[in-house]
Amino acid sequence: MLGLAFETAVPHLISARSLIPNLIVILAVDLGLRHHGVVPAIIAFGMGYATDALAGSHPGLNAFMVTLVFLVSYEFSSRLLVTNAFVGATIVFFGVIAADLGAIAIGSGLGALGESGPMVPSILLRAMISALVAPLVFSVLAGSKRLVGLPARAARE
Amino acid sequence: MRGTFLWRNRVLLTSGALLILSLHLISTGVHPGDFAARPTSIFLEIIRPIDAGFKHLSAGASGIVNDYLALVHVREENVHLRIELARVKSDRARLAELETENRHLSELLELRDVLGLNAVAANVIGSDATGVSHTLILASGESNGLRPGMAVLSNQGVVGKIIAVSPHAARVLLIDDHNSALDGFDQRSRARGIVAGLVDDGLILKYTDRSEDIRAGDTIVTSGLDGIFPRGLLVGTIKYVHREGPGLFLNVSIAPAVEFRGLEQVLIVTQPPPHIDDQVKG
Repeated sequence: MLGLAFETAVPHLISARSLIPNLIVILAVDLGLRHHGVVPAIIAFGMGYATDALAGSHPGLNAFMVTLVFLVSYEFSSRLLVTNAFVGATIVFFGVIAADLGAIAIGSGLGALGESGPMVPSILLRAMISALVAPLVFSVLAGSKRLVGLPARAARE
Repeated sequence: MRGTFLWRNRVLLTSGALLILSLHLISTGVHPGDFAARPTSIFLEIIRPIDAGFKHLSAGASGIVNDYLALVHVREENVHLRIELARVKSDRARLAELETENRHLSELLELRDVLGLNAVAANVIGSDATGVSHTLILASGESNGLRPGMAVLSNQGVVGKIIAVSPHAARVLLIDDHNSALDGFDQRSRARGIVAGLVDDGLILKYTDRSEDIRAGDTIVTSGLDGIFPRGLLVGTIKYVHREGPGLFLNVSIAPAVEFRGLEQVLIVTQPPPHIDDQVKG
């Protein structure tokens, strides 16, 4: 919820929206990479649905995209031998692009993607900044998890 | 249990079910009062005080922090004086902020009097969580009489409409969002069209016949036919008209009258606009 509060309050205070990392996608990637189970999938969906409450006009749209990002992260984590911060940052980079373009495509139809050309630089910038911030967020989350006794590393099946 | 197909693929199956649920929500939509709309209201309520706190902090804290940092390492005899100066500066900044807010609210009150409709003012405390859509979060909700579908205005013109409410917060879909549309017309030529938002920033006038006399610089106002916005409210000014290319309709771009990013207070029309016949007579 703090991540969402950050995402809604800060853009209203500063003009450069692209400079604000997509914390929800970063959290979804962390869940997919490190927590393999039914509950993390539901948490990812819940985070997306919470985002829907504060973004856009189609409830379910962000829930879909965040769950998809979680699922892709989970699949990468299940198949790769190493899931370090670089892998996480790479997934975050593509996850932010997919989430933004997917939200436009699902919300307004595939035709709207053609109009989104001017938005691509800002989406790419946001994806890059999110990817740069992601390792820091992962380490903060890992530290927090250790504090409360949760597993901080990938739980392989 | 652990070796079964269901257990081995539990994450995939759960995620798949949740994806299908999401698609179902997108395709059917969530109506106010639905069970699926309750989380929206709860999340808005939780976010409201945090966003309001962010706004309050940003308004007052920067001056205090700067003054405080300037006080570090100064001589002992200057400390009290500088603290006092910082307090006065902070008070002055707060007063300037209150003065600005007062001016905005006075302008909104004037607008309400001109409209002759019941309306309430609300503070803007946040914006869209993703940035892909164009929405705002208001610090007023159902307890202030706000309901989904109500028109939101500023002293500059039309802002948008309310799409979700909680007891103490509401969300506004701005008219420049790509999912927004309202009925408008050219004030000079009376040519009608649908004012719609773009994925990127900006507005366009859709479904305006090629034979219509529309020029750059013309003013677009609401028609009142959509049953949401009262007739005659300023939407924007035409930037350019492209008559070239195929198609039945004109390609018209509009510059919005409202500077959406700088909005601090807005006016919400709590009473449905009068029937179009009454508006035209009035």
